Amino acid sequence: MTSLNSLLRRTLVMFAFAVALLLGIVGSSLWLVQANREYSEETAQLRRLRSSIVAVLSTMQDAETGQRGFLLTNDPAYLEPFTKAVEALPERRNNLTANAASRPSYSSKLGALNEAMDAKMLELTHTVELAKADRLREAITQVGTDVGRYNMDQIRSILADFLDQTDKRLIGLVADQLSAASKLQWTTSAGAIAIFVALGCAAWIIFRYIRDLARARELVLKMNLGLEARVDERTEDLMRANQEIQRFAYIVTHDLRAPLVNIMGFLSELDSAAKMISTYVLADAKTLSQEQILSARAAVEEDLPEALTFIRASTKKMDALINAILKISRDGRRKLQPEDIELKHVLETAAANIHHQLAEFDGSIDIKGHYPVVTTDRFSLDQIIGNLFDNAVKYRAPGRPLRIKVEAHTDGPGRARIDVIDNGRGIADHDRERVFELFRRAGDQDQPGEGIGLAYTRSLIRNLGGDITVKSELGHGSTFSVTLPTNLGNNVTWRTDL
Amino acid sequence: MRANGREVTIVMIEDDEGHARLIEKNIRRAGVNNEIVPFTYGNTALDYILGPDRSGTGSNDRCMLVLLDLNLPDMSGIHILEQIKANELTRRLPVIVLTTTDDEREIQKCYDLGANVYITKPVDYDGFATAIRNLGLFFSVIQLP
Repeated sequence: MTSLNSLLRRTLVMFAFAVALLLGIVGSSLWLVQANREYSEETAQLRRLRSSIVAVLSTMQDAETGQRGFLLTNDPAYLEPFTKAVEALPERRNNLTANAASRPSYSSKLGALNEAMDAKMLELTHTVELAKADRLREAITQVGTDVGRYNMDQIRSILADFLDQTDKRLIGLVADQLSAASKLQWTTSAGAIAIFVALGCAAWIIFRYIRDLARARELVLKMNLGLEARVDERTEDLMRANQEIQRFAYIVTHDLRAPLVNIMGFLSELDSAAKMISTYVLADAKTLSQEQILSARAAVEEDLPEALTFIRASTKKMDALINAILKISRDGRRKLQPEDIELKHVLETAAANIHHQLAEFDGSIDIKGHYPVVTTDRFSLDQIIGNLFDNAVKYRAPGRPLRIKVEAHTDGPGRARIDVIDNGRGIADHDRERVFELFRRAGDQDQPGEGIGLAYTRSLIRNLGGDITVKSELGHGSTFSVTLPTNLGNNVTWRTDL
Repeated sequence: MRANGREVTIVMIEDDEGHARLIEKNIRRAGVNNEIVPFTYGNTALDYILGPDRSGTGSNDRCMLVLLDLNLPDMSGIHILEQIKANELTRRLPVIVLTTTDDEREIQKCYDLGANVYITKPVDYDGFATAIRNLGLFFSVIQLP
């Protein structure tokens, strides 16, 4: 699951990216607004410049038109455009100078323009003065010198150049403005898409985190529900284990005390026999009664050997008991080595081990069906199955051929059950728990044994995290059911989890 | 030791031969000379007391006193006690429980089931011998059916 830190880091990165993009878009917009303002201002300036150029040109043309009309007609009415142009020209020229002064490409030619205009105006004024003074011929001659036309051409050319420059600049400005706008549009679109993607990623990360969170919560809820049941189960296991330990201690102390009672008892018997013998042996010259002599003889012949035999037997029995307890305790402490085991293989090997006995009693064993692979301790499993098979053979019912059947089932998640079913002599109801107790046996004592087998088997099974139960009908047969975790390692981990 | 004019048989159910021998010796030393029938297994003892069919009819005209060890190899002495006390024909037979354990609950259980006396076999022999000899005294005062 994504950790909270990684979630925060990743979403923060996404958000930071989106914010940076947004800031970029805002910045570009501001830049464009600023640029637009500059463009607009320049456009206005250029338009003013253009109109002042046009105004000067038209004024000059008006002045020339007025001069030509007056010279042709000599009618003062035609002189009016000239008069007006002369009046308006200084202001218009000033306007043009003011508008063009900041532009070097214009101002550099302003000198030539002014010169040409001054010369033109001088020529125009002079010819008009000549005509007014009825010296028309002189005036026309003056015009014929082409000085006026030259100057006018000069003026036209410069102003046309000015107009051309202005128009070009205006067109350039519009193009720049358009290009900036389109650039901004692209940037904004790309930025918006990137913001959407970043926010989408962040939303996806958050969504995924929330989904994981919801799943985890669900799992916790489920585990909580199961926890109660598991705690109950474990408590029950513990109580049962505790009771078993108490029962075990009880049995062990009782069974160890029994030979001790014998040893102490027969030591006392030895003591009293020794007294009788010493009375006889140390009699010296004293005469002994017939009774004393008989007692001494009896002590030597019966009491002494009997006491010694019982003491020896009791010591041997104690030793056997202690060895049995040691075996169980040692195997209980043995380090388990889980490995993958073919259950069927283990069952078949164990069946082969009792093959001779089976043949002897006309018996058969049936191992059928599907067997799971279990991961558990091989030594323990071999011992468990071997003991159960041995018991089936040992406690067969006399007078009918022995039939052993083995079945395996899945017993809930992660657990396997092995049933060993026999048609033997069975176990009475009141002995069903007793058969699993140490040194206890049930039914007719016609078979050798010390009452260790099933106690040992059960302790092995418990060590593997399993359990064994028995169902039986006296005289008809027994079914021993072993349940084991299919994976010993898992089981252990699972337990430490709790 | 007699009851209703008949000799009383002592039925001793004890799997430990040494214990059986010591009990017998001490009973004899206490001056009790009744016949002692020993059993090592619960099953054979029940066969003797209640009959192989467990009906108890065979015990009608017999006078018996049962010395019972609780830990037998084939069944629990408690189970034998239950069987004897549950049978109408044998429930009046005196049963003396003789065992190595002194577990309070077990003693109580035996009395609840109708045991007449509960004796713990002490490890020190003097105590053991005294307990058995006291039994001899007990035999002389006990009401036998």
